[in-house]
Amino acid sequence: MNATLPKEFEMLEPLVAEWALPTQNQRQVRRKAATRGELQYFYDNMLPRMPAILRHVDTYPMGELPEDAARLFSLALSMAEVAPHIELYGGSPGVPYAFEESRFVAEHGEERL
Amino acid sequence: MNAPNEQLRWARKYPELGMDPIAVEPCVSPVFFEKEKERVFMKTWLKVGRIEEIAQPGDYKVKKIHFAKTSVILIHGKDGKVRGFHNTCSHRGNKVIVETGEETFGRNKAAVVTCRFHGWVYDAQGRLSMVPEQERFASDWKREDHGLTPVHTDVWEGFIFINLARGEVQPLGEYLGGIGRHLGGYPYAAMDECFSYHTTLDCNWKIALDAFSEAYHVSTIHAGSFPNVFSTGLADVQLFGDHRTTGVCLTLDAEPTPIARMANEITGASLVAKRGTSMLPSTVNPGRREDFSFELSVVFPNILIHVSEGIWFTHQFWPISHDKTLWEGKYYVPRPKTNSQRWAVEFAQVLQRNAWLEDTATMEDTHAALESGAKSHMILQDEEILLRHGYNVLERYMAAEKE
Repeated sequence: MNATLPKEFEMLEPLVAEWALPTQNQRQVRRKAATRGELQYFYDNMLPRMPAILRHVDTYPMGELPEDAARLFSLALSMAEVAPHIELYGGSPGVPYAFEESRFVAEHGEERL
Repeated sequence: MNAPNEQLRWARKYPELGMDPIAVEPCVSPVFFEKEKERVFMKTWLKVGRIEEIAQPGDYKVKKIHFAKTSVILIHGKDGKVRGFHNTCSHRGNKVIVETGEETFGRNKAAVVTCRFHGWVYDAQGRLSMVPEQERFASDWKREDHGLTPVHTDVWEGFIFINLARGEVQPLGEYLGGIGRHLGGYPYAAMDECFSYHTTLDCNWKIALDAFSEAYHVSTIHAGSFPNVFSTGLADVQLFGDHRTTGVCLTLDAEPTPIARMANEITGASLVAKRGTSMLPSTVNPGRREDFSFELSVVFPNILIHVSEGIWFTHQFWPISHDKTLWEGKYYVPRPKTNSQRWAVEFAQVLQRNAWLEDTATMEDTHAALESGAKSHMILQDEEILLRHGYNVLERYMAAEKE
């Protein structure tokens, strides 16, 4: 695989290996394991591109994203997972003062979008 | 400054509840729990599913009910009716459906279930319809006398309820009474995209339920996920017999963060988004307050139903023992139609999960601390009236004469 994201989003390629994850469980585990620096780097690179990403994925019907757009979409979903940690939790990789996350069983956790 | 009693608006509305401290024994006593199972959980209507989970004739769901040491088969019959049965074969008592977890789903086109052990077949009305080698049973043995053991089952607004009592029970509609009318007519079925969580908590079921039944905790517990978002005061508290409800409001001055704003603009799926026209029944937020966020309703004994604009969610607390509870949290939204809507749902749902992680953080500590015996009572303020009412109702059930 060479170009893994749609052409106009190639600047996000460095994020793909770590953050283009298909399930909510995987994205949650990745966010928990991230350093503060990784979270901030991911957030800062994604934030300005979010409107364009959402416009791009909306050029396809649900469930019919080609591989490159699907990868881009999973980056956006990782942004949904990461954003509260930058915007609300002071950059902390865990939810502060919270129950142990791994004890919550998500029935939808393994679904692939 | 207001005179002190001006602050006690719910105590004035419901003076019969008083303002006394509440004994903690019901939360920590194994003896109390044994009685509570018998007098409350074996006698009341308990929500066990949604009709969408078994939408087609022949669809079935099996749910473990730990406190009753049983599991219940809920099966959608060809006549459109959902019926419930103990998952226990009439032959030698094996489980008819082999379970794979807390909940097991399946479907059978003929709307029958078959015990794996010796192949006894039951239809959706619980009748024993086929027995291999039937001629080898006693000559006066009749198949029609050996159906599955039924469990009272009924459906309200798509919620499937069971009642484990033997003999006659009060009909579900009558049991729900005012709360059923209050929450009826909300478009539950139109929002069937479900995100579901469960976990086992080392605490009494009431400690878990109580932690979700007031807004006094939001400025401390949710300082992370919902900073300055919700008002701690309740709105339009109403008690309906065994059940209770309140509105929870926003502070309106919270500025959404950049990603929250993006998500809210797409769907308004988050609880903290403001919206225009209402899908709520006219009984909910009757004054159509601008700052209304969601209705928090407790259906006795163990489920919280929350309705809001474009999203609803439930918390349910299943006692396993006096100090162990199975919690189920379910978050429902309309099915997204576009990828960006799906993204916005993901954001709102993940943030809600985080808030639930904040909520559940206190429960095991509360139970452990109460087990110390250091405190015999807990103290409730006026805005914790739903908890007070809950203990009041519980006391009434516990005092009832044993049948």
